Amino acid sequence: MKRGYLAEVMLALGAVITTAAFLMTFFWAPPSLYPDGRVDFAQKIFYFHVPVAEASFLVFFFTAFYGVRFLMTKRKEYDVKARIATEVTLFFVLLTMATGILWTRVEWNVWWQWEPRLTTYFIMTLLVIGYFVLRNSVEDEERRATYAAVFGILAFIDAPISFFITRVVQSTHPVVFKSGGLEPPMLITFIVGQIGMLMLGYAFYQLRLKEEELKERLEALKVALGG
Amino acid sequence: MTEAAEQPAVEASALERSFGARKALDGVSFAIPEGAFLSVFGPNGAGKTTLLKVLTTLVAPSRGSASVCGLDVVEGAVELRARIGLISHNPLLYPDLTAEENLLFFADMYGVENPRERARELLEAVELDHRRLDTTRTFSRGMLQRLSIARALLHRPEVLFLDEPYSGLDPHAADILDSLIASIRQHHTFVMVSHDLDKGLELCTHALILSKGRVVLFERREDIDEREFRETYRRVVGMGVA
Amino acid sequence: MGSLRWRQFTAILRKDIVMELRTREMLTSMGLYAILTMVVYQIALAEAGEGLDVRLIMPGLVWVAFIFMSMLGLNRSFVHEKDQGCLEALLLSPVDRPVIFFAKFAGNLLFLLVVEALTLPVFAFLFLQGRAGFGGGLWMLALVLLGASIGIAGIGTLLATISVNTTGKDIMLAVLFVPLQYPLLRAAVGATFAGVIGGEGATSSFWTWMGWIAGFDIIMVLAAFGLYEFVIEA
Repeated sequence: MKRGYLAEVMLALGAVITTAAFLMTFFWAPPSLYPDGRVDFAQKIFYFHVPVAEASFLVFFFTAFYGVRFLMTKRKEYDVKARIATEVTLFFVLLTMATGILWTRVEWNVWWQWEPRLTTYFIMTLLVIGYFVLRNSVEDEERRATYAAVFGILAFIDAPISFFITRVVQSTHPVVFKSGGLEPPMLITFIVGQIGMLMLGYAFYQLRLKEEELKERLEALKVALGG
Repeated sequence: MTEAAEQPAVEASALERSFGARKALDGVSFAIPEGAFLSVFGPNGAGKTTLLKVLTTLVAPSRGSASVCGLDVVEGAVELRARIGLISHNPLLYPDLTAEENLLFFADMYGVENPRERARELLEAVELDHRRLDTTRTFSRGMLQRLSIARALLHRPEVLFLDEPYSGLDPHAADILDSLIASIRQHHTFVMVSHDLDKGLELCTHALILSKGRVVLFERREDIDEREFRETYRRVVGMGVA
Repeated sequence: MGSLRWRQFTAILRKDIVMELRTREMLTSMGLYAILTMVVYQIALAEAGEGLDVRLIMPGLVWVAFIFMSMLGLNRSFVHEKDQGCLEALLLSPVDRPVIFFAKFAGNLLFLLVVEALTLPVFAFLFLQGRAGFGGGLWMLALVLLGASIGIAGIGTLLATISVNTTGKDIMLAVLFVPLQYPLLRAAVGATFAGVIGGEGATSSFWTWMGWIAGFDIIMVLAAFGLYEFVIEA
C-alpha cells in the first residue's frame, strides 16, 4: 500500500506545483517581446506546452523499456506496465498537440502547420494510437503482449528519427534554448512547470497501475475459485 | 521392466505454463519410455495443445521442465527439432507447391542428405509417387494427410507427435493412416493428442487425461480398467462443459 | 551449420519465388494497383492545367503509389504461410529464426523492386513525356528505389508477420506501417526530388537524403531482425 500512498501524494503535489507554475507564468515570468516591442502573449503557452511534450517522451521511454523487459521475461506485469505507460503517453501527446495547435493559431494565424515538432507529435500520436489498435485486434493475450512490446520498441526508436528528419527542412519552430534565451524567472517558471508535469505523469502512471493490479488480483481470485 | 532403467523418451516434470493468473498447464508430470505410444485425452481447453507445443519446443514452459530424447525443450531446442516430427490435422504443406517440391523444401529445412532420393522413397511409401508433380491444392484430404506423414518422416525423427491426426479423415483415409502408423510403430515413440477415445485406447501403450491443465490420470495401457477409464473421461469432459 | 543456414535461406527464398511465379498473386495485384493509382493521378491533376511542372510533385506521387502498393504485397507474403499451418511446420524445423526473417525479407525486397522497376517507366511514359527530362542521373533514381525498398521490406516483413495474426489484417498493417515509415518516406521523396530536378546542389542534397535512408535502413532492419524471433514465435 506504500506505493499507492506515494502516488496520491505525487498527484496532489503535482497538481499544486503545476498550478503554481501556471500562476508564475502569468504573474511572475516577464513577458516575451516581439522585435517591434509588442508583448508576445502567446509565448505563455510555452510554459505548458514544452513540459507536457517532454513528459510525453519520457513516459514513452517506459513503453519501450517495459517492452524489452517483457520480451526478456514474458511476465505479464511488464506488459501491463508498458500498456499503462503508453496510455499516459497518449494523454500527454494529445495535450502537446492541442497546445501546439493553439499556439500556431495565435502565432502564425493558422490552425495547423507542418512544422517539425508538430509533425513529429502527429506521427507519435498515430504510433500510440496504432499501439492500441494493435492490442485490440489480437485475440491471444500473450501474443498481444508480445506484438505490443515489439511495436512499442519500434515506435520509440522511430519517433526521434521522425523528429530529426523534419529538422533537416528549415524549421519555423522557435528554438527554446538558444544561448541566453531565457531570463532566470522564465527558466524557473519553466522548470517548476516541468517538475509538476513529471510528478503528474508519475502519479497517473502509478494510480492506473494500482487499478490494473487490483483487476489482476480479482482475475486471479476468479481463476482460483473456478478451479 | 528394463525400460524403467533407460532414459525416458518423453518426460515432463512439474510442467507449468501460465500467463498472468491463467494457467494452461499446471504441474504436469509424466514419463514414457522409448517405443511407447502415449495418448493424451481431455476436453477442449484442458491444455492438450499447449502440452504438445511445449514438447515440440514451440513454446517455453513457465516453470518446471520437459525433455524429449533426453534433450531439454528449452536448452536443447534446436537440436531437438531435428529429432522430432509432427503430424497434425492441418496438412502443414504449401498448396501451391507440388508434392515433391513440398518434400524437397522441408528436406532443405532439415538438411536431409540426398533429398531427391529420400523424397522419392517416401512418396512411394505413401503411394503418391504418381502425383508427385501436382500441386497439393488439387489433393484430397486423405492424400494431403499421407503427404504430411511423408513430410513428418523426412528427417527420420525419433519421436512423432500426432495432433488429432484422424480428424476430418474419411474411413478409407483413416485406414491408410492406421497402416502407416503401424508400419513405423516399431522404430518410433509416439505422443498423440486426440478426442477419439476408441482410437486413442486402441493404439496407446500409455494414456493420460488432462483437465484444466492438470493430470487427472496417467496409466499404462495394461493397467487400465477400460470401464473405469471411460467413466473418468466422461466425468472430466462433463466438468469441462459445466 | 553455416552451409545449412544458407541452404535453408535459399530454400525459403526459392519457394517464395516459385510460388509467386506460379500464382502471380503479389506481382499482379501490386502492379495493377500501381497502374490504377496512376489513373487516379490523372484525374487528380486534370484541372491543374498545362503549366504544372509534374516533376515537382512526381517524387511524392511515385512514393504514395509505392508505399500503398508495397503494403498490398506484404500482406500477401504471409497469408500462404498461415494457410495450412505451414508457419508452424517451418518453426518446428531446426531453422534459426533470423534465417526466416532474412529469407522473407529478401523475397519481399525482390518483388518490390521488380514491380517498382516495371511501373516507374510507365509513370514516366504517362506523365513526363514532352516535359523537361530527368535533371539528375537515372542511377540516382535506382539508388533511391533500392535504399527505400530495403527499409520498406525490412519493417514490412516484421509488421506483416504481426498483422497476419490480427483481425482486420489489411488495415492493421497500414496503421502500423505508415507512421513507422514516415522518416524513410520523407527521405525517399527528398532524394527522388533531388534526382529528378537535378541542377546545382542537387547532388549534395541527394547524398544527404541518401544518408538518412541508409541510416534508417540500418537501424530499422537491425531492430526488425532482433525482434523477429519474438514475433514469429508468439
